[in-house]
Amino acid sequence: MGLPVAWLAVFFLAPIAIVAAYSFDVYTLFPGPHGFTLHAWRAVAHESVYLRLFWKSVKMSLVVSVVIVLLAYPLAYYLALSGTKRKYILLLLLIAPFLTSYLLRVLAWKVILGDQGVINSFLFWTGLRSSEHPISQLLYSRFAVMLVLAYIWLPFVALPIFVSLETLDRRLLEAASDLGASRLRAFWAVTLPLSIPGVIAAFFFVFVPTLGEFVTPSLVGGASGYMYGNQIVDLFGAGFPDWETGSVLALFLIGVVVVLTVAFSRFLQPQQVTAE
Amino acid sequence: MNDVALSKNGARVLRGFFALVVVFLYAPIVILLIFSFNNSDIPAFPLSGFTLHWYHQFLVNADLRASLETSALIAVMTSIGAVVLGVLSSIALVRRKFRGKAAASALLLSPLVIPYVVFGISLLLLFHTIGVPRGMFTVVIGHIVITLPYTILVLVPRLEQIDESLEEAAYDLGASRFRTFRSITLPLILPAVLSAFLIAFTTSFDEYAVASFVVGSRSTFPIYLYSALRFPSQLPQVIAVAVVVLIVSLTVVVAAELGRRIAERRVGAA
Repeated sequence: MGLPVAWLAVFFLAPIAIVAAYSFDVYTLFPGPHGFTLHAWRAVAHESVYLRLFWKSVKMSLVVSVVIVLLAYPLAYYLALSGTKRKYILLLLLIAPFLTSYLLRVLAWKVILGDQGVINSFLFWTGLRSSEHPISQLLYSRFAVMLVLAYIWLPFVALPIFVSLETLDRRLLEAASDLGASRLRAFWAVTLPLSIPGVIAAFFFVFVPTLGEFVTPSLVGGASGYMYGNQIVDLFGAGFPDWETGSVLALFLIGVVVVLTVAFSRFLQPQQVTAE
Repeated sequence: MNDVALSKNGARVLRGFFALVVVFLYAPIVILLIFSFNNSDIPAFPLSGFTLHWYHQFLVNADLRASLETSALIAVMTSIGAVVLGVLSSIALVRRKFRGKAAASALLLSPLVIPYVVFGISLLLLFHTIGVPRGMFTVVIGHIVITLPYTILVLVPRLEQIDESLEEAAYDLGASRFRTFRSITLPLILPAVLSAFLIAFTTSFDEYAVASFVVGSRSTFPIYLYSALRFPSQLPQVIAVAVVVLIVSLTVVVAAELGRRIAERRVGAA
């Protein structure tokens, strides 16, 4: 036990502590006067740019998470409750894309959505649109980021919902039906409430990673798809680095994630993220 | 039985919806496949002819091959490290009683929820602070942190299934702790160890976000891909690699899953 905990203490907790120290200016890599101050935090709180960007990222992740949970629910329902014999094969078919390369799936959409891409060139070719006027909002837009994130996370979301529906005691449904409930009524009164923990877990496991996302927006987002995570990267990157502000933004994001994790913790079960 | 949950028509509608989603999930992959054989510098309609040129290009591209090797090496080191740490933690979590167990388990699983951008930057600051030059090992260190929880999630349920009295019997017969682990526990959890290894390997091989902050001069495959994605001239070649990698990884994933099911059925029957 000692070794794994020590590993995480040194390579996981210590780095975050350094970021925290950086954000309060008790520590800096560059020479110069420093000491505990809330200066950077105050600056961020008054700089509405960062808060607006954070809010925009929250809205984008929220829409993506809600949409794909709604899409995944009927898929999981079909697999768990339709009595199909090929249940596990179909489940594997659904989640296999999630286990392949993330960047390559983004690449596929770049090829599809570009001005000269598959969709536009198909429209030119078939004469549905002239080549001077491609549908240019397809790529490098907020829409592109949300579409690609939904594409990437959809298979993953089906899993926790499937687990909760699969473990549901079917005798409850039979009892409901014996007592005269219609299928719809049994769904609202029995199935849905019992599968809510899975739905909430599914939502959590998409919302949290997409909130801090920076790879997809940097590849398909352009200016309008720029997210909070991109801002953090840029503050640490070349150009006009501002590590102190970057540390504040990073720590704020961790804080939000910790609050969400605690709030959702009673719905989260470890086995929901493995395909057991 | 199934009609308590779903009417015949309902099942038909859901089957159709399922098929639609599967098409949505696989269409982009199929499109990549088609354009990897297309004889044109830009992937666009109309298709201009069949070629294996892009596959040949990628075979002779030394940078690309080097990046694949670097990633494979990093993934092997990561998965060995993560599985060793994962086995140690899982055994402690399942078999031992100690104070602060809940806290330890929360800490071990917490990398699951950390935003990778934050973790990557934190790790970069740490390496700056203690003066460690960036390189393959810094990537391995980061990857072990993020893959460790996955190995624990695979190993713990398997360990919980094993009858503890088997291990106690071995102790009673005079076996040391290590001997007991080697001849009793390890063989029983081997399928889970292999899937943990596979999960850690594929996660590390594909990981871009954390690696992008702590990588040294030797690019990993995702980092090579990311930079290639910014140069349209390299696109067709990258598509060819994409197809090869996607097909290899899909095959490995499906084979591993089927293999695991067969292995577990055999263990279950014994």
